[in-house]
Amino acid sequence: MSKARSPIFKIAKYTLLDEVRQKSLIIMFIICALFIFLIRSCYSGNYMVNGQTLDPGTVVQMMSKITFHVIAIGVMLLTALLAMRVLKRDRDDGMQSCILSKPITRRQYIAGKILGLWVLSTILMFTLHGIVFIITSLNLKAVLPEYLLASLLCSFNLLFVVIAVLLLSLLMPDVIAFLCVMGIGITGLVADGIFAVSHSQIAQAMVQQSGFPSDWTWWRVVYYLWPKLSGTEQFASSFIGSGVVHEFGSIYPLINILIYSFILGALLFRQFRHEDII
Amino acid sequence: MIELNTATKRYGTLAAVDNVSFHVQAGEYFALLGPNGAGKTTIVKMLLDFTRPTSGSLSVNGFPSTNLASRIAVGYLAENYHIPPYLSGWQYLQRCAELLDISQADARDQCRHIVEQIGMQGRENTKVSTYSKGMIQRFGIGAVLIGNPQLLILDEPTSGLDPIGIREIRQLLESLKDQGMTIFLNSHLLSEVEKICDNAAIINRGKLLVKDTISSLVKNGDTLEDVFVRFIKG
Repeated sequence: MSKARSPIFKIAKYTLLDEVRQKSLIIMFIICALFIFLIRSCYSGNYMVNGQTLDPGTVVQMMSKITFHVIAIGVMLLTALLAMRVLKRDRDDGMQSCILSKPITRRQYIAGKILGLWVLSTILMFTLHGIVFIITSLNLKAVLPEYLLASLLCSFNLLFVVIAVLLLSLLMPDVIAFLCVMGIGITGLVADGIFAVSHSQIAQAMVQQSGFPSDWTWWRVVYYLWPKLSGTEQFASSFIGSGVVHEFGSIYPLINILIYSFILGALLFRQFRHEDII
Repeated sequence: MIELNTATKRYGTLAAVDNVSFHVQAGEYFALLGPNGAGKTTIVKMLLDFTRPTSGSLSVNGFPSTNLASRIAVGYLAENYHIPPYLSGWQYLQRCAELLDISQADARDQCRHIVEQIGMQGRENTKVSTYSKGMIQRFGIGAVLIGNPQLLILDEPTSGLDPIGIREIRQLLESLKDQGMTIFLNSHLLSEVEKICDNAAIINRGKLLVKDTISSLVKNGDTLEDVFVRFIKG
């Protein structure tokens, strides 16, 4: 078992090291970290809602939640950018034929690529969330360990992005693959929004008054069946400072993303098995 | 060591390799000759399971080419060899050794020996992006020697090299002859093949035209080039 597994870890290590060598990645990461440091002043501002000043604790919690989402979306974008060229670069650099001419299976090669990219993007996101965690802890004078747990939960979104981009990059040009995965994320976000609106009494009353057909069925189907990237993010962030007891329904987005990752992963292995190595 | 049994590879209606059968014995220096687009690289790709035959079968080391065991103790040098430009030659060799599960100490010894063998001492720690094509090709040959393979599959190892580079690669390949390796060489540099190979096969438009020893092919003061042209032009 360990013999069969070891090439996966080696390929994952090379993938990680090769990506880290890219100057553009380092620059983007530094910019993200600086951005997080710069917005730390927002944590100590005075905010008024409905004429009432928010207490500093609520402000810090709200700000840290907003930053959590910004980082999660930003790293998802970065992960898609990293993943879209990985297989092509390996092919152009001769590493793909070098690896696969050795007693290493295509499945091990792809698994190594997925693992390397997933670990790297998770480290990036965890580090950025870690910075916010430290800032939040210093401002609140209390530790929020659930912030880091939420970050780890969000990493399943990154796994989905890695697998989806790798699969699509085998079927279409890299940039189109990147845009498709971004489209999946945006459509999911819109579906979540429409689903939330469809459940609000105000929206239902407005639709009834305007005489528009109030058939939300199609959007409900999209809401449940579409990859729930934003839903998983919401589920992860719901842990931050809430102490909410989660029902089974709220974990559905995470299960949805895991199922999608599994299906797309199987398709990726199948597609790469039939791929001609150049 | 290598066996092709009515191997055929079609891309749509085009037969890149058409019903080709031959075998290469252990210890043989074998050259597969043919003009550009004859199907030489497709045969190499099928041997390494980089592409699957449409029909027929291929075996390497007694195992079907689709079996992972067929790639044990096989070194492969691709045509137009590339090495990641951000690595040094040494790092690349180390990476190849690690992929073959060679222990760190062994890998260091082997890589040091190979760097000497390919005549790249003093340049192994500089980035590949600073290497010439000839230097990359030498490191490519060095990489295939890691793990003491029994079979080398070399696809146009002298492609793009100047006459001095070609001579150096030829000398390197000749030096390997004494080590009892089997070499499967894809080339259209006929003068080099004539100097180092024992047997050759000529293919054109995917079809095998002839397979024989070099001495049987080259007779009556002809060169391998004369024989090659005669077969290709029919």
